[in-house]
Amino acid sequence: MKALLVRLEPVIWMLFGAGMMVGAFLLPAFILVVGLAGPLGWTGAEALSYQRMHGLATHPVGRLVLLAAIALPLWVGAHQLRHVWIDLGGLKTDGLVGSLLYGTALVGGLLGVVAVSRL
Amino acid sequence: MAVEKTKTFVVTRFDPDRDEVPKSQSYEVPVQDDWKVLDALNYIKDHIDPTLSHRWSCRMAVCGSCGMQVDGEPKLTCKEALSDYGDTVEVKPLSNFPVIRDLVVELEGFMEKFQAVKPWIMVAKERAIEEGTYRQSPEELEEFKQFSMCINCMLCYAACPVVSNEPGFLGPAAIALGHRYNQDSRDDGAAERNQVFRGDGGVFACSVANECSEVCPKNVDPSAAIQQAKMLNVLDWAQSFVVKRGEE
Amino acid sequence: MPELQPPHLRPRLDAMKSSRPGPTRTADPRPPDHFPARGNYPVYLLFGVCGGFLLLTSLLVLRGVWALVGGEAAWNAFVASLSHPLYIGYHALALLGVVWFSLRFFSIFPKTQPARIGPVKPPPAPVILAILNGGFAVANALLALILWGELL
Repeated sequence: MKALLVRLEPVIWMLFGAGMMVGAFLLPAFILVVGLAGPLGWTGAEALSYQRMHGLATHPVGRLVLLAAIALPLWVGAHQLRHVWIDLGGLKTDGLVGSLLYGTALVGGLLGVVAVSRL
Repeated sequence: MAVEKTKTFVVTRFDPDRDEVPKSQSYEVPVQDDWKVLDALNYIKDHIDPTLSHRWSCRMAVCGSCGMQVDGEPKLTCKEALSDYGDTVEVKPLSNFPVIRDLVVELEGFMEKFQAVKPWIMVAKERAIEEGTYRQSPEELEEFKQFSMCINCMLCYAACPVVSNEPGFLGPAAIALGHRYNQDSRDDGAAERNQVFRGDGGVFACSVANECSEVCPKNVDPSAAIQQAKMLNVLDWAQSFVVKRGEE
Repeated sequence: MPELQPPHLRPRLDAMKSSRPGPTRTADPRPPDHFPARGNYPVYLLFGVCGGFLLLTSLLVLRGVWALVGGEAAWNAFVASLSHPLYIGYHALALLGVVWFSLRFFSIFPKTQPARIGPVKPPPAPVILAILNGGFAVANALLALILWGELL
């Protein structure tokens, strides 16, 4: 498994880099509004209503934004957490842990494709 | 006249013929205002304990011999002013390296990594004598000059958390050096070096702690070299699928 | 030397060992003295952990999209679930984490650019930083205003 990870590193790194950019440019807004402002009642009821959200999400640009926000930052998390694991002495299980983390990113991205296409 | 005071130096001692593991030994050293840590170590060896072993040479931060952990941080002992330290100073051998004796570390591992990046000009076609010397513009020199300033002091290896954990990791100085040659306009060996950079323990093992650049006494910024090498490596890797090469 | 972790999680520390044994016995390498709790190392590890916030937020967006696919009731249930105090506390932390993570990433970004990619030179560092930080502010503000209902 480790050998496979070594061979795939350039791809992983590219996905990680793209995820850093997308994550930085999009995710804070999601957390602020969907995670804080909405639940705390700052946005008003209409903003996060099903009709409005569904309308935004099904717009071609909306689908693209959602797909990017789901599929790419997952690789950042997977990559960073894998390296923290290695830093704390976990190299012996890096093949397994790395595969699990990147596997999560891959599966999450695929689920994102399915979900966005089914909107 | 230089004012004298006394500082305590807690120094790691290890004699492979006698000691199971390294231990500490304290020395009271009369120090002068303008002394560096190295001056104190030399005083210990000259006047207190001639059995202390430590490496040093130029005394002016260009040879890279005197790297040690001073109060827990990798430093060149010839560069560190005692006035920046308290009354007790801890001196240990560089972290992440096996210890041969006292403050002297085993460098063979580093030498092997150094050689692995092929740190020499590789040309696609040998130049005939009649063609004259290579010509390089100031702009071309600027593209790699910073990374050629490394004095191989290995403070970067001592600071790097990845070096602790990944045996194969080439490490900051070796990657910076390989990158220096990749960026040299006279060199044609980037594809070959990038194969090494893509291997186990190559550039992608770096997790951007940036400690290497923090501790570098020559402002080489090896972390910059490594991150640049990652980007160029990915481009080279993508290109390798499109462009046919000789031996891969 | 104090015990750091259980044996299977201890650092390898043989990174700088020679592939051939030398003429004398050597003492084992030690990890960096200040790792992991002193100096810059805690900030570095925190940066790594904050990457986890990105992973979790992406999964949150995924959850949200699945809820939209599921219909109005599913979506309302999803929104209601986010009101739990623990979730709100977590999201406050996550927001701080993701913003700090992003800004730190931007600050490192200029030096990651090679002097030249083929014939193309990257812009000077201040320009890169202006584009990244400015883009961060504009993109997030735009998206936040849209989600908030102030735009579109």
